[in-house]
Amino acid sequence: MSNQTLTVTTSPHPVGAYVLTVTGELDHHTSPRLREALDEIALATGTGLVIDVSGLTYCDSTGITLLVTAYQRAQATGALLTLAGSSPDLLHLFRIVGLDQIFTLQPTTEQAIAALHS
Amino acid sequence: MTVTGSALRPSPAPRSADEERRLAAVDRYQILDTPPDGTFDKGAALAARIFRTPAAAITTADGYHLGTVNVLDTHPRQVTAEQLAALQNLAALVMDQLEMRLSAIRTVTSERQMRTAAERLARTLQRTLLPPALPQVPGLRAAAAYHAASADEVGGDFYDLFPLDDGRWAFFLGDVCGRGAEAAALTSLTRYTLRAAAIYGPDPCAVLANLDTVLKGEYPGTDPRHCTAVFGVLGRTEDSSFTLTLAGGGHPPASAVRADGTIQPLPVTGGQLIGLLPEPRFTQTSTHLAPGDALLLYTDGLTEARTPSGPMRQEEGLAAHLAAGTWDDADDLVAGIRRLLDHLGTGVNDDTALLALSVPIHPPAPAQETR
Repeated sequence: MSNQTLTVTTSPHPVGAYVLTVTGELDHHTSPRLREALDEIALATGTGLVIDVSGLTYCDSTGITLLVTAYQRAQATGALLTLAGSSPDLLHLFRIVGLDQIFTLQPTTEQAIAALHS
Repeated sequence: MTVTGSALRPSPAPRSADEERRLAAVDRYQILDTPPDGTFDKGAALAARIFRTPAAAITTADGYHLGTVNVLDTHPRQVTAEQLAALQNLAALVMDQLEMRLSAIRTVTSERQMRTAAERLARTLQRTLLPPALPQVPGLRAAAAYHAASADEVGGDFYDLFPLDDGRWAFFLGDVCGRGAEAAALTSLTRYTLRAAAIYGPDPCAVLANLDTVLKGEYPGTDPRHCTAVFGVLGRTEDSSFTLTLAGGGHPPASAVRADGTIQPLPVTGGQLIGLLPEPRFTQTSTHLAPGDALLLYTDGLTEARTPSGPMRQEEGLAAHLAAGTWDDADDLVAGIRRLLDHLGTGVNDDTALLALSVPIHPPAPAQETR
């Protein structure tokens, strides 16, 4: 679980949103990588930010803290953060910790982008 | 070429006091029986170039006479003063290298010792955070266990069972985020806050809200800390049953194991993480524990989602395990879950705390002591 297998890629979406694709295991050891990627994105009112978590195979409490912090930072600046592509296990986890009531969730990145512009 | 024991330690010859001191110095530099070292190879090659000789054996030299830097040739000849000076410089370089190696070895060793000490301290601290023994609750059996997933890293699971002023009993079980000494400190704060809050006002949701406020006050700003917990209050009724009110904050459901073998999850769905959200919701549920019924609370890497063998499957596995067995009492339940955890082995990648409460079918002798 701590073999440092997390990749984060940031790509500006053509319609003006940032898409962060997170693949692998998000835990105590790997979360600094996602934190750095998040810190590099300049958020402003109306900025769309999608974190594509469909490739996330593992998420521990540190990962949860990071996602909540990112969500709160987006809210504070008026940006819109969506988590896209949560696996059934990840959704189950979000339900247990009550974050399904907090996060904006979409099945896919494309649907998340479409929802940002609807 | 390497610095070898055979080059430095002339074994069978009787040792003089000087030789003993030299060997002690050799040991101190930890250069015997070490794997081939590229730096010494390069030094040897350089010596061979300076002297235009076919071979140069380096066995190290310094004030302690660790050994000598030797240059060998296949035929006798004279060396120049220049060459001898170069050989001395080379010996000094080899010595510098040995000093650097020794300093690196010492740094690594002391760092390792410090880490081991810190881990031992954290484990000791964690043990003090769990009650050494559960109190005797009149008309109830209680059992608990702590299953550590790793000997090196300390998790932050906790539980407790204690009396309230009004004759009722309160209990909690939970898991703080993070690991190691920081998690232990957070566990300590969480446990004492829950106990204190329960004495002031034992409404389960209010107790969790109180903890939420304390955690946010203690860890403000950009480095928030959170935990998940179940908090419950038990009141004994005249028919030897117990009323149970249970609140949850971001924690998996507790399970009621009924006298007839039915497994009934007691969901506190909607309850949110404690200490992380601006206005968290906590939810509570009530039920009865009749004679023969039991309640099981657990943590199991609850804030983790892992495929393909994630805690979700583990949770299902737990329910199946509970349904498949017959359970005499709380002790039996905890023993059964421990067997399941042992069976899962390395699949359990987080610490697990267990707390079970059961109502005996035949009430125990009335003169039971409370603590």
